[in-house]
Amino acid sequence: MANIFNKDETIHVFKWENLGNIKEGRTDLGEEMPVLVYRLMQFTMLDVLTKDFGPDKANEYFRRAGYLAGSEFVKNNLDTSVDFSVFVSKLQELLIDYKIGILRIEEFDDVTNNIVLTVAQDLDCSGLPITNETVCNYDEGFLAGILDVYTGAKYKVEEIECWATGDRVCRFNATVTG
Amino acid sequence: MIEDQTAVSAENNKEVSDAADAMFNYLRDVIYHPQDASLDLSVLPSEMQEFGEALLFFCGMVMDAKTYAINISKGQLDAVPPARDNEFSAPLKDLLASLKHLTWQAKQVALGDYQQKVDFMGEFSVAFNDMTEQLKQRREALANEADEVRKQALYLERSNILFKSIMGNISDLIIVIDRMHGDRLFTNHPPKNVLASETFEDQLYSVLLEYAQNIEAGEEASTDSFTLISDTGLQHFSVILYSIRWDGHDAVACVLEDITEEKERMDELENAAYRDIMTGAYNRHYGMKVFDEWAEAKEKFSVIFVDMDMLKYVNDVFGHSEGDTYINSVNALLGGISPNAIVSRLGGDEFMVLAKEEDVAADSVSEHLEKLRAELVASAPKDENGKDIYPRSISFGVVLVDETNELPPADLLSMADERMYEYKKAHKKERLN
Repeated sequence: MANIFNKDETIHVFKWENLGNIKEGRTDLGEEMPVLVYRLMQFTMLDVLTKDFGPDKANEYFRRAGYLAGSEFVKNNLDTSVDFSVFVSKLQELLIDYKIGILRIEEFDDVTNNIVLTVAQDLDCSGLPITNETVCNYDEGFLAGILDVYTGAKYKVEEIECWATGDRVCRFNATVTG
Repeated sequence: MIEDQTAVSAENNKEVSDAADAMFNYLRDVIYHPQDASLDLSVLPSEMQEFGEALLFFCGMVMDAKTYAINISKGQLDAVPPARDNEFSAPLKDLLASLKHLTWQAKQVALGDYQQKVDFMGEFSVAFNDMTEQLKQRREALANEADEVRKQALYLERSNILFKSIMGNISDLIIVIDRMHGDRLFTNHPPKNVLASETFEDQLYSVLLEYAQNIEAGEEASTDSFTLISDTGLQHFSVILYSIRWDGHDAVACVLEDITEEKERMDELENAAYRDIMTGAYNRHYGMKVFDEWAEAKEKFSVIFVDMDMLKYVNDVFGHSEGDTYINSVNALLGGISPNAIVSRLGGDEFMVLAKEEDVAADSVSEHLEKLRAELVASAPKDENGKDIYPRSISFGVVLVDETNELPPADLLSMADERMYEYKKAHKKERLN
């Protein structure tokens, strides 16, 4: 007999709760794992998607997934009612705690609310071979999701420098589009 | 053949030597004269061409990185970076990213965002984080201080409103005077609102100045009363004096109340309680009160018991109006004993006079009374023939009380009364004549 309580549940629709109780589940191995494993999943996924849908579409999927992750990350971890400086400060702490990267703001335009920000030691790309190609499409979506939830505005985030393009930080232009 | 080989070898050696010189000079220029640095690959032998290209590429990266470093060192954070594949510039890009973030952080601090923390750049981070922490603490301290000042200002504003309201509404005149220089520092009303006459004002200030100069700084409040005299009459004041600090001055706050009406009312009450209505002399109650007080205080004084002669006759024959005139004339006469004597009417035709030794010497009292008696006799009303219509006279008895006295007032008064009767009896014949 089907479980009536879970009739609407599917793992394909993301819910923060569905990340599960990692601590309880990984009593011996713990909540952390090597970055290598994270990248293994990312790049194999990218490989498969690129083969099936082409590089642009694959990057777009990564961006959308990142956007969903960023939105949910803020909703479930941060207070969006505080001032921008306080929000950024808390976000920086959280990104370090989760070992995602070191977020820093380089510019903030008071008039347009456009932002230039960097992520150092980025989880996705730091240490990659230089390919002259920005690769942090997931981060672009992740940051856009965060900014959209906090500001209520619509941001387009574009990576302009990357470890893979010879820089030592990933630099993103976040532009308000609506 | 050997000569040919030798010649070729010498030529190769020269070619290698020229190539080495060219590369040496190029490397030297790269370091010391980068603007002049150039390497002509055509001077290199064919087998060194690839190496020469690598050397040019390597030195190009080094020089680009150096130029980039120079621009960054000049603070040009928007300097164009070298080509992306320039590995040497990567740490410089890292530094530039840190400096750009630091610039943003400094701007945030300038806007008051003291949550900014630097987590890179070693000792500088410690200094920066200490600075923001101290700024944060200072702002909190200032905010607390400002909050406290705001509360105090609010309290003072309210107090000031209350103060002005009280000052404006109370009828008392409050004057603050500089204790040292006598300057008037504050008045709640123009003094003329309170004073009966403007001419009082100078008088008032000279009185207050005297008070102010006789009060020590920090002395507790003191109270007094005084009277001002002018053409229009008397004005009585009570004054409470407070030694205070006023706007950096040692000052005295004088709270003045016009008690003229109260004083007049008190005088009226006193008159009603202590005076004989018809004569204005003190009444029996007051006379006995003074008698008791002086006896208690062991004063040396004379008790004079006075009885009017023939008042009943005057009342019966000439009417009470004439009797009252007679009584008033006796009262006026007794006032002549001494301005300080207490003349009280005990009732009907009896008076008691109390006179202190310092005002009327005991041994001259009888003599003094005899003279007054003679004046009274002479003042009797006359008919057209100059004959007395009725005789006027008094009888008196005197008892001297001094510090050795142990008799109660009642006994002393009886003694004076007995002496009066003896006097009356002795002079009865004289009166009949």
